[in-house]
Amino acid sequence: MSYLKGFLVTFRQIFQKRVTTPYPSQKRAKPERLHGRHVLGRYEDGMEKCIGCELCAGVCPANCIYVRGADNPIENPVSPGERYGFVYEINYLRCIHCDLCVEACPTGAITESKMFEFSFTNRNDAIYTREELLVDSESGKPKQLPWEDWREGEDLNTSGWLRATSPNGDASYEGQIAWSGDLGYGIRKAEIGQSDTETLEEEQ
Amino acid sequence: MTDITSAETAVSITVDGKKVTAKPGELLIDACERNGTYIPRFCHHSRMQPVGMCRMCLVEIDTGRGPALQPSCMIECSNEMVVDTQSKKTIKAQEGVLEFLLINHPLDCPICDKGGECPLQDQTMAFGPGESRFIEEKRTYRKPIPVNENVFLDRERCVLCDRCTRFADQVAGDSLIHFIDRGNKTQVNTYPDQPFSSYFSGNTVQICPVGALTAAPFRFKARPWDLTEVESTSTFDSVGNRISVQESRDRVLRFTGVDSDSVNWGWLTDKERFIFEAYSNENRLSGPLTTNEVAEGSQKHAVATSWSEAYEKFVKAINETTPERIAVIGGSRLTNEAQYIWSKIAKGIIGTDNVDAQLDDGFSPEVLLSLNPSTIDKTCKPGGVIILLGADPKEELGALYLRLRHAILQDQCKLIELTPTKTGLSQLATHSIRVPPGKTLEAVKALSGEPSELEDDILKELTKVQKIIKNNDSISVLLGRTSLAETSSIVEEGAIKLQEYLPKASFLPLLRRGNINGAIDMGLSPGLLPGRCDLEEGSDKLQNYWPTCPTHKGFKTKEMFEAATDGQIDVLILLAADPIMDFPDSQLVQEALDRIETVIAVDIFATDSVLQADIVLAAATATEIEGSFTNLEGRISPIRKSVTPPGTARPDWMIALDLVQYLVPNLGPSTFKELCEEISLVSGIHKDFDFSKVEQIDKEGVVLNRGKNKTQTSLIKIPKQKANSFRLVVTRSMYDKGVLSAHSSALKGLAPGSRIKANPKDMEKLGITSDSTVRLIGLKGEIQTRLTPDPETTRGTIHALWNQDGPDIRKLIDSSLPVNDLKIEKI
Ligand code: SF4
Ligand code: SF4
Ligand code: SF4
Ligand code: FES
Repeated sequence: MSYLKGFLVTFRQIFQKRVTTPYPSQKRAKPERLHGRHVLGRYEDGMEKCIGCELCAGVCPANCIYVRGADNPIENPVSPGERYGFVYEINYLRCIHCDLCVEACPTGAITESKMFEFSFTNRNDAIYTREELLVDSESGKPKQLPWEDWREGEDLNTSGWLRATSPNGDASYEGQIAWSGDLGYGIRKAEIGQSDTETLEEEQ
Repeated sequence: MTDITSAETAVSITVDGKKVTAKPGELLIDACERNGTYIPRFCHHSRMQPVGMCRMCLVEIDTGRGPALQPSCMIECSNEMVVDTQSKKTIKAQEGVLEFLLINHPLDCPICDKGGECPLQDQTMAFGPGESRFIEEKRTYRKPIPVNENVFLDRERCVLCDRCTRFADQVAGDSLIHFIDRGNKTQVNTYPDQPFSSYFSGNTVQICPVGALTAAPFRFKARPWDLTEVESTSTFDSVGNRISVQESRDRVLRFTGVDSDSVNWGWLTDKERFIFEAYSNENRLSGPLTTNEVAEGSQKHAVATSWSEAYEKFVKAINETTPERIAVIGGSRLTNEAQYIWSKIAKGIIGTDNVDAQLDDGFSPEVLLSLNPSTIDKTCKPGGVIILLGADPKEELGALYLRLRHAILQDQCKLIELTPTKTGLSQLATHSIRVPPGKTLEAVKALSGEPSELEDDILKELTKVQKIIKNNDSISVLLGRTSLAETSSIVEEGAIKLQEYLPKASFLPLLRRGNINGAIDMGLSPGLLPGRCDLEEGSDKLQNYWPTCPTHKGFKTKEMFEAATDGQIDVLILLAADPIMDFPDSQLVQEALDRIETVIAVDIFATDSVLQADIVLAAATATEIEGSFTNLEGRISPIRKSVTPPGTARPDWMIALDLVQYLVPNLGPSTFKELCEEISLVSGIHKDFDFSKVEQIDKEGVVLNRGKNKTQTSLIKIPKQKANSFRLVVTRSMYDKGVLSAHSSALKGLAPGSRIKANPKDMEKLGITSDSTVRLIGLKGEIQTRLTPDPETTRGTIHALWNQDGPDIRKLIDSSLPVNDLKIEKI
């Protein structure tokens, strides 16, 4: 008779509140500090922020960024200043989403979206090019590539977390973490600690 | 150099409480560094005079009158000096200097080419105040201004250290950049509308302690942290400058000079510095080619083939003829190892002695081997006498020119020039004597007190030279070609006579082409075998390793071409040689190539000569191979691999080893290591040298003891110059139409173009001006051109530059004549 005890457990659960999500038809909200695939930002006037300095490539522990700078065309400059990122590639088979690149960037050009739902059938496709990483010059939102699963509103979160010690960090926020003032998410105040997922869901 | 261990001369100083010894007269900053205490600096550079511009090196020095802050780069060590590099005052001073420097320095490190290897960044981190108090607006200038074709200047980054301007003025002697304006507006700049045209401008980029000077070929190409570097040797000219080859993602992006005491002191010519662009040019040959056999009778047409097919065709061509009908030209671009194995293929397997690495633009090796050897250091020995018999070091061997310049200006060397044309050193010469072309021997005769047929005013000068020579026991002779339009014997005879007269004098041959000295050592010369021995003495040693060995001396390059026009040559192998471009008598070459059955070329570019070849083997170049290089002193230094060759191109030694197997299966050597061992076994001068460990040699290299052979020469007769004829003098200039320069975007536009010069008095006599077109008529051909009046050109001569755009001067050269005299006709 004791096997009935097992059924009882199952039976009881039927009336409980469901905790799983039927992914992928429905998605849970992502934590706002989630590290997804990168975006290369632009200024309000559409100029690229990246100046091709290779600091992100230098700091990347997975060695997955390839940047080459070039002289900015004087007639039609790509970024403010003399130099722009002429080649920019990130290999997502190697990236460990540590965001050290985001902290290293002196112009706040590279940040991460929350997009992790992408897959490839070919190793070459895993290398995102500059065109794919750049945000749209009109909307400032990430480009939604055909092999990525974007849902409504997901392209709003592209801002990065910065420490006070990073080039764009603010000294007055020592010990705290601030958002980069990036297109797509806007500027937020510094905060301590991470709000947990549940409160986030409830807020939505 | 003074012996620092000798107790009488050594100076004892105290640095941070530690007693150390310094050389007398040594600057404090150098003495401290040698003893492990680094004092920060910007303006100090050990190869230039101190100026004390930047004040970064302030330390507290006590010479008995109490400690005071003084710039250590301006203070010579004196006995009992007490130095504190860590005192509170020193640190405060250094922080202060850096804070001041950063007032005007922009914080654009992320886009600055120097960022990552910048002394200002590094020293700010190590010695700076750590925090900036500067919130005001910084001084700005127009972003980079070009100071010449290849160097850019960002004036707001400049810290006014005076290094570039001092280099231009003191080292290169081209003082074309200076400080202008005063106070806060002081800046480095060129004279208005006058670029910094110096053959050495790239060195200023290397020594600028900030990113103010940047070089176009490297600008924004990569950051220092993604460069991988290896120390190698520049194979471009025969000085063998030590360089650092810097690569990123399998592409060479930069050459920088390495400071080697005995060779280049860190300097490079712009040509050597930027030549790497040619190596990664997309027009490089990337695999073997052969001519299409279907197209019988019509134009030759090259098609790609496989290596094995190319090798088989090579062997077939060789087997179809007899050894004495095979000729090998070139080989000076190769490493020593590749030269040896090609020498073995030609002489030891095929059995021909028609092998010559020189294209009639050098000297007979027998003569070179009979002269007392010298080194650069010996030539530049303080207080010595340097006799220049030919060639302009500034145009042909730039780094050597800088060493000579230093020797004359700083080390009291006396320069005697006995050349037909003015050279880059003429201004500094104690006696710069214009010997008429073809009369070198006469000048030497006059020097040694024999009767000579020179004019009186030259003789008078030579008597003064005699006195200088008599009173000096360090005499070095620089031996170069005075003109490409005359036979090499003219200078050779002078040199031999000079050696008889001054048995103690030593000779530095200024053969220009890359590893030409290695080629001679390895036997790529008619009548020579590896180890610089002649066919007789060498053959015993070789019999265990070489299946055969020629018994009769073969042809020189010129003789090969002459023989070919008579139909005596069937197969010509070109080892990275382009005779159509480089051999003085271009018509002879073309006639010869037309008659030769099979031309085989091993090269990196499709040069004019390669385009006429039937089999082309694509080779790797200096940044893609391991090996060694022998410079003009006989100094061996390593060539290191940095990137992979394009396509299936392979190192020359590998091609040669493959061919050995195709020609004689199972004949050694079959690996690089065996090849290295075999050289040491068969070559007397390399017997103590281990080629397989060459990468362990330090930056000074190893000078071979090459000994000296007996003198042998035959006198040639120089015809007397007819009245109203003009003797042709052709010299090289730094930039020409050479294949490497043509494939390097930085160097392409720098060739000065042809300017055929004559003495204005001669022109007046003929009634021609610089506007009139004249016909220059040589024995074999004629050209139409304008003449440029130049009072420096010796009367009765025409001076032209080699290999330039414009009228082809080679049409006037007939290499069968000892000298070429021209007629001038007005049109
Ligand atoms: S997130 Fe980390 S691993 Fe990924 S690219 Fe940036 S630095 Fe590299
Ligand atoms: S993303 Fe930022 S760190 Fe990376 S190259 Fe561009 S500007 Fe430099
Ligand atoms: S340009 Fe460079 S080397 Fe020249 S003075 Fe300025 S900082 Fe010194
Ligand atoms: S290094 Fe001494 S003053 Fe510049």
